[in-house]
Amino acid sequence: MGFSEHFPALIVVVLFFTAFISPLLYRWARKLAAPAVIAALLAALAMVVVLLIQVQQFGIYYYHMGGWPPPWGIEFKADPLRLYILVVLISVSLWIFIYALRDLGHELKTRVIGWYYTLYSVLVGSMAGIALTNDLFNLFVLMEICAISACAIISIKEDRECLEASFKYLILSAMGTGCFLLGVVMLYMVTGYLNYSFLYQALVEAFDFYPLNIFTAAALFIVAFGTKAALFPLHVWLPDAHASAPSPSSAMLSGLVIKIYAFALFLMFYEVFPRVVLEAVPLSEIVLWLAALGAMFGSIYAMIQTDLKKMLAYSSIAQIAYIFMGIGLHHSLALVGGFYHIMVHAVTKAMLFMVAGVIIYSTGVRRIDQLTGIGKVLPVTMVAFTIGSASMVGIPGTGGLISKWYLALSALEIGRPIFVLVILASSLLNAIYYMPIVINAFMHQDEFKKEVKPVPGIMQLSMVVGMVFIIIFGFFSKPVVTLLEQAAALFF
Amino acid sequence: METLQGIVDNYYYMVAIILFVIGMYTMLTHSNMIKKVIAMNIMDASVFLMFVAVGYAHGSQAPIIRDNVEIIYANPLPGALILTGIVVAVSVTAYALSLVVKIYRYYDTCDYDEICEMRSKE
Repeated sequence: MGFSEHFPALIVVVLFFTAFISPLLYRWARKLAAPAVIAALLAALAMVVVLLIQVQQFGIYYYHMGGWPPPWGIEFKADPLRLYILVVLISVSLWIFIYALRDLGHELKTRVIGWYYTLYSVLVGSMAGIALTNDLFNLFVLMEICAISACAIISIKEDRECLEASFKYLILSAMGTGCFLLGVVMLYMVTGYLNYSFLYQALVEAFDFYPLNIFTAAALFIVAFGTKAALFPLHVWLPDAHASAPSPSSAMLSGLVIKIYAFALFLMFYEVFPRVVLEAVPLSEIVLWLAALGAMFGSIYAMIQTDLKKMLAYSSIAQIAYIFMGIGLHHSLALVGGFYHIMVHAVTKAMLFMVAGVIIYSTGVRRIDQLTGIGKVLPVTMVAFTIGSASMVGIPGTGGLISKWYLALSALEIGRPIFVLVILASSLLNAIYYMPIVINAFMHQDEFKKEVKPVPGIMQLSMVVGMVFIIIFGFFSKPVVTLLEQAAALFF
Repeated sequence: METLQGIVDNYYYMVAIILFVIGMYTMLTHSNMIKKVIAMNIMDASVFLMFVAVGYAHGSQAPIIRDNVEIIYANPLPGALILTGIVVAVSVTAYALSLVVKIYRYYDTCDYDEICEMRSKE
């Protein structure tokens, strides 16, 4: 394989390295700082694509850090599913970064923008690591890096709400990582391994002797990843954090960060805990019902919000629930739906937060009731909002339909039509709070009263790219679905 | 009786779990932000204690290989991992405390309830 055998590690290393040089560049060669981050993200994307092609040809590839074989060394695993997550992660973060180039100057002080680039690269690098790693302790370290950088891209704005929100987020995510590490100890105690593949083997045997340890670990993992991914009763930190952050950070947090933890929980359920454990206690069932509740309550809370960004944040709680549903339903079609939704929701929610960012940039309005008639003054922005809302609701022709379709199909396939009802009801609730904004924006007779600044070209371009992709996901879902079906077939 | 004996034999696990619960309870219920950060450290430390205790076997010694001596070695891996864990916990603590300092500058208090009260008056 030559040079490309080091790609799994290089993806993370390139991003971390950029994180260290970007504040220096920002200080001494300001024009180069942003292109450096873009170049690093492009390089990472290219490496992921090369790896994906190689994995399709030669099968799953394991990378041993420093040449130490597992169970002693840290192992990175490149399989189609992880690489799919990485493609979504890196391309969406590249897109958000390009949007951020203009928006950051508006929301942050000039001297901290170089540090923002650092945090951004660290965040993307750590998320890439979470997706790639095959080792529980490495996962813990990367999760802490991800938590600190995710809190820091909120608190970098240094106003009161951002500081409070990021403190709340930090405390709850510290609780999450504490629980996670305790779960790791429980598993290490009974098996002596930290590597996923070794654990999977060893837990089958250990389950006969120490079932209690393994159950405790599973419960702790649900709490840990549930807190970090905002699974319904553990979502309390999310609305404040995602709503008060600068818009590019909100797009990043809502679009990608919560999903990567949902993916980590998926890995725990399918690659660490063997079938016997999941059959002995209804863990998937618990996740499934919490997700069903989250899909309803997230939407209900979103309905009563008056702040646009808060509403989008609550809507994320409802949407992440679909992904958890895909994990909990235990069917290959459900996995396809859940993972398709990771991509669709990442693009859609990031775009909606960009729209909110553009509205704040150009008019300074945050309240939903002041948005009447805004469609006439910001047409591109509000068309983007319309298409984003359509995808959230799941109207045909947008990506949102495809993921809901596969989830509903799998619910019928395993004979539990109640979840089809949940999906339908939640979609209707989505329509109830998204559609009035669209209708008021375009069809209200009142003129928009506030002063409007022109929207920079690069921000409009980012929104157009988002719209195009949402529609492509709606009409040409075949290649991605085929990839996901192949990947899901490995687990059943 | 057997359970009781098990608890007495493995008292260090019990200590770790009790500390964990104290830490988590204080972190989630106390309104003082400095105390929240301290509780976070207690919680982390309890997990580290538990992890290191897992690596210990009764009567074992530090894992340094000496010639011609048959002894039981303690497992070195948990120790190595916890060293990393401590570094991570320190950085999280530093960041959390810096946030508390910034919040204190805005409100002149570290108490979360008082801050909520002030915000609701606005």
